[in-house]
Amino acid sequence: MFVSVVAVSVAPAQMEIDLVDIINQAQRLHTGDSSTGVVRMEVVTEHWERNMTMEMASYGNDYALIRILTPAKESGTATLKADRDIWNYLPKIDRTIKVPASMMGGSWMGSHFTNDDLVQESTLTDEYDLELTFDGERDGAAVWEITLIPKPETAVVWGSIMYRVRKDVVQPVGAFYYDEDGELARSMEFTEPKRFGGRMLPSVMTMVPADKPDELTRMVYEELNFDVGLDESYFALRNLQDRR
Amino acid sequence: MTEWAWTRIGWRNIGRHRKRSALTMLGLGGSFIAVVVLVGWVDGLMIELTNSATGFTNGSIEINAVEFRPDRRVYDTIGGRDGTDVEHLLEQLTADPSVLAVTPRVYGGGLVSRGDGETTVGAMLIGVDPDRERSVTNFLDGGVEGRLPEPGQNEVLLGGEMARQLEVGVGDQVIMVAPGADGSLGNDLYAVAGIFRTGVPQFEAANVVLPVIDLQTLITLDPGRIHQIMVAIDDPVRPDAVATRLSDVLASEPSALEAVPWTVLRPEIVEITALVSSVYGVIIALVFGIAIFGVANTMLMSTYERRREIAVMLALGSTPRSIVKTILYEAVGLGFLSLVFGVLVSVPLVAWWSSSPVDLSWLYPNITFQGAIMPPVWRVEFNSAVWVQASVALFVTAVLAALYPAVRAVRVPPADTLSGL
Repeated sequence: MFVSVVAVSVAPAQMEIDLVDIINQAQRLHTGDSSTGVVRMEVVTEHWERNMTMEMASYGNDYALIRILTPAKESGTATLKADRDIWNYLPKIDRTIKVPASMMGGSWMGSHFTNDDLVQESTLTDEYDLELTFDGERDGAAVWEITLIPKPETAVVWGSIMYRVRKDVVQPVGAFYYDEDGELARSMEFTEPKRFGGRMLPSVMTMVPADKPDELTRMVYEELNFDVGLDESYFALRNLQDRR
Repeated sequence: MTEWAWTRIGWRNIGRHRKRSALTMLGLGGSFIAVVVLVGWVDGLMIELTNSATGFTNGSIEINAVEFRPDRRVYDTIGGRDGTDVEHLLEQLTADPSVLAVTPRVYGGGLVSRGDGETTVGAMLIGVDPDRERSVTNFLDGGVEGRLPEPGQNEVLLGGEMARQLEVGVGDQVIMVAPGADGSLGNDLYAVAGIFRTGVPQFEAANVVLPVIDLQTLITLDPGRIHQIMVAIDDPVRPDAVATRLSDVLASEPSALEAVPWTVLRPEIVEITALVSSVYGVIIALVFGIAIFGVANTMLMSTYERRREIAVMLALGSTPRSIVKTILYEAVGLGFLSLVFGVLVSVPLVAWWSSSPVDLSWLYPNITFQGAIMPPVWRVEFNSAVWVQASVALFVTAVLAALYPAVRAVRVPPADTLSGL
């Protein structure tokens, strides 16, 4: 998900708005067919702060491999996402464990992201109905606000999600996650556009939980390469530890 | 005539028909015995429930940092980041005469996987002092296959249901992963030293027990950082006063701590006990309500047989009020003898039943209630308040039962009665 929501589109704003296309492009185009990159993750909580760097690889929306580079204590710890399953590789004990469905709501690597975040957003338009709820200016920029409401038959984590998308570049500038009572649970900000592989993308994503406004998880994309020729076979369990 | 004379007449009337008086006493005394045993039995059940529910995994009193509850965050340890001198704190608490035992606790949440990582479950990790734990709680009393884990040896105790789900046995290896207090992802391999069985599958499925030091290492807590101290006391049913005393002891600690009795943590048990206690009045009313008809019948017969005598007394100038008093004094005397009989039988009966509860485990399995195990033990407790209430009820029953026969007896016209009409 960390790469999937960094959206980019060249769709001209003057055309009739295709909301599904905007969200799909936002999810699809960040990786191209496949991508690799290096991300720095800063986590600030009431009790501790920590920085991690990790390399990540993705294929479409369904496959991702994230490996921690620093700090040294956790170097080599890796997460594999394949479809809707997640495995964690633990180099200290040289074991791989599959995250059970019951623990998908748990924190991913101590961040404010959950394991669910890794698997859920790959299918946003399948699970949510989209509605344009605002078309105007926010903070001096022309934006659309697209609200995603869960389809009745789907079991999802959020009551609704609202994406704020800049019209000129068709990129999200913010995503707001609401619980079933309509209360804001967390928000994500997309900032600091940077050129990656010929594409201008927000290079920083900052997640702030609504109930702990002093805490945050910030993902800073340092490298991002698109269409690197990876396919499903790369995202196999054996690769979790092969590249230590 | 003096009041004493009417009293004596009433008292002597008891002995005039001894068999009938004895039967009445049996009725009233039997009612008394029935009430104190029945209520004592329910009381025994409530005490078993309280002991089981509050002593299963926790102590009668729990001590922790004030910010620990309700979120139970891994950071909120006793003494904050600096921790505390655990042994010194435990000694301070044990100095209270009502404190029987104390044991430290550390908690974490994480994943437990079979050694090959194929099967994983979420688990609550409970760090215990294996030597002290069983003197405070009873969840390990149900039996441990294997043995308790040794501190510092990366050994754990799994619940039977979790072991079944993970398909592991004693001696197998499990992986545990838990977020540390510093944000890191603690993980390590552990040997299954033992498997505990409680009879509560939900508890067995959700919990892993390991020595405090091993859990502290996994979740990056210094040895002086613990989350709770569980306290066992001599009277688990009434923990409030001890909790207040321990709070005073804890006031000298540098960080804010609280001593919370189970009555605060498990209000549902308090409510159930209060609800059941409120039925005691109904039990007393029902038992003596039935007895009152038997006593009234006896008194009616007794006064009917003495109608000529009463007529003579009235003819000689006794007031109807005096006659009524005589009959009521007789009833009070009967009540007194009944009470003596009831107490003489009840005291040894309840004393024996209280000290030697009847074990019904051959007849019924353990009862699971409120997340705890209750053994099928039939014990009867001494409830002084109910003994007093039952005594009062016995006298009230005796007097009320005599009231109607007494009033009826003095309404007979003396002349007609004496002439045989």
